[in-house]
Amino acid sequence: MVWVMIMQIRLAGIGGQGVILAGVILGEAAAIEGLNVLQTQDYGSASRGGHSIADIIISKEPIYDLIVTKADVLVALAQLGYDSTKEELKGEGILIIDTDLVKPDREYIGAPFTRLAEENTGLALTVNMVALGYLVAKTGVVKKESVEEAIRRRVPKGTEEVNVKAFRVGYEEGLK
Amino acid sequence: MKYPFPVGRSDFIQGDEAIARAAILAGCRFYAGYPITPASEIFEAMALYMPLVDGVSIQMEDELASMAAIIGASWAGAKAMTATSGPGFSLMQENLGYAIMTETPVVVVDVQRGGPSTGQPTLGAQGDVMQSIWGTHGDHSLIVLTPATVQEAFDMTIRAFNLAEKYRTPVVLLTDAEIAHMRERVYTPNPEDIELVYRKLPANKEEAQYPFGNIHGDMIPPMPIFGKGYRTYVTGLTHDEKGRPKTVDAEVHERLIRRIIDKLEKNKEDIIAYETFDLDDAEIAIISYGIVARSAIRAVKRLREEGIKAGLLKLNTIWPFDFEMIEGIAEQVNRIYVPEMNLGQVYHLVKEGANGKAEVELIPKIGGEIHTPMDIIERVKRGV
Repeated sequence: MVWVMIMQIRLAGIGGQGVILAGVILGEAAAIEGLNVLQTQDYGSASRGGHSIADIIISKEPIYDLIVTKADVLVALAQLGYDSTKEELKGEGILIIDTDLVKPDREYIGAPFTRLAEENTGLALTVNMVALGYLVAKTGVVKKESVEEAIRRRVPKGTEEVNVKAFRVGYEEGLK
Repeated sequence: MKYPFPVGRSDFIQGDEAIARAAILAGCRFYAGYPITPASEIFEAMALYMPLVDGVSIQMEDELASMAAIIGASWAGAKAMTATSGPGFSLMQENLGYAIMTETPVVVVDVQRGGPSTGQPTLGAQGDVMQSIWGTHGDHSLIVLTPATVQEAFDMTIRAFNLAEKYRTPVVLLTDAEIAHMRERVYTPNPEDIELVYRKLPANKEEAQYPFGNIHGDMIPPMPIFGKGYRTYVTGLTHDEKGRPKTVDAEVHERLIRRIIDKLEKNKEDIIAYETFDLDDAEIAIISYGIVARSAIRAVKRLREEGIKAGLLKLNTIWPFDFEMIEGIAEQVNRIYVPEMNLGQVYHLVKEGANGKAEVELIPKIGGEIHTPMDIIERVKRGV
């Protein structure tokens, strides 16, 4: 994918899928690379089950925008997440979905991220890292190494390896 | 000294976290607070960091007590801070006045949310502008700073402490829920590269007798520290140079209050900070501050692309206010727009400054959403 001046990326799912943590890690990876980056979030008050959205804007120029208005990339991990925000994806934008859980009404790429997470790490909750890996492989928005460094900084102690593993599973899937 | 967070490099952090880190780097070693959305993360960070830098972070019973505690800590020699949001800021007003009257250097962070009352706890707003300046009673002045980015929240926190110490005054850092919770890349300098200011102390026993006297001719009296050998009387009552209550003497009252105001007014050039974008040849000026300034910059760029000569004045200090500078801009441009997340607050200051030399129009927005660049662009185009 060609690097545009500003990349607007939105991650959408439901509470409990780790969408916001994935957004923070992607943002941290961009910061590690010296890029300007902004991350905001929007979620319902329920800790599980409500919609959950993480916005990441990455740019080589100063960033004035605060939320994603025209997403270059939308990652949807749940139907509710997709339905609540599909309008914000640009016509020529990339839609990435969990193919088991989201039935989109437009062109898409993706993989069964939740299933891949379960099969490879035994933990469905690493779905966020699998999806992040896929996103990074498909877009090249940041380097794989930067994300792995960011994961080690941000995930709870003792869970670094399982999260990096999940990220690599998604990354490999994205290279296919 | 080892800091409990990375220094000398960039990090990816929320506005609230940036404020806490900057406060510690500015030398803050006393934090008192009461949790409130969207300021709680400042408290959480302080609770985590303070014990690791030999500082104190304490939860008080409410915001009245939080404000009282930081005033006490400041008189005991510590750089002190509290943070809150609208409802708590209302409760702090009485003691904020006490800090002004007793010339106590403290930093108060107000992370604005929608109000009045408990309003919209999780959403950003700019409704506390007038409260931050005039919320406490009586004639007075203080300093109010307005960051627009997480980096500015960091930088202005350090500046807030430096100004508080330099001018012996409370400083309000007026931020909002958006900046509080968004993450951006923030550069944290090495501590040795950060310029820090410390309050003037009495040089000797003679000077210590006048903790409220203009003994150096700069309107800023040296501030004795409790327990360091001097008897000092501190009161919110009108007091003379020695701190003794003189509550019915008009001359004493006028001298005290005028000095408290003048020490900031006469140093406006040092205190007031602002930035301009494309303002030099502008025919239309947008005057903005805080989070909305980001959309305003975007709006100016797009208006310029369309051949409309717009420019921006971004206010980083909103009090003291430079009315003369606004009049200068009003003489140059045809029209001034003031977008703010309220129903008109800085607008009135700008209107007073413009002094009829240009039309001043408010672009208000309330409810929690920030102005989009289009909100500003469309309004400007309607007037062209």
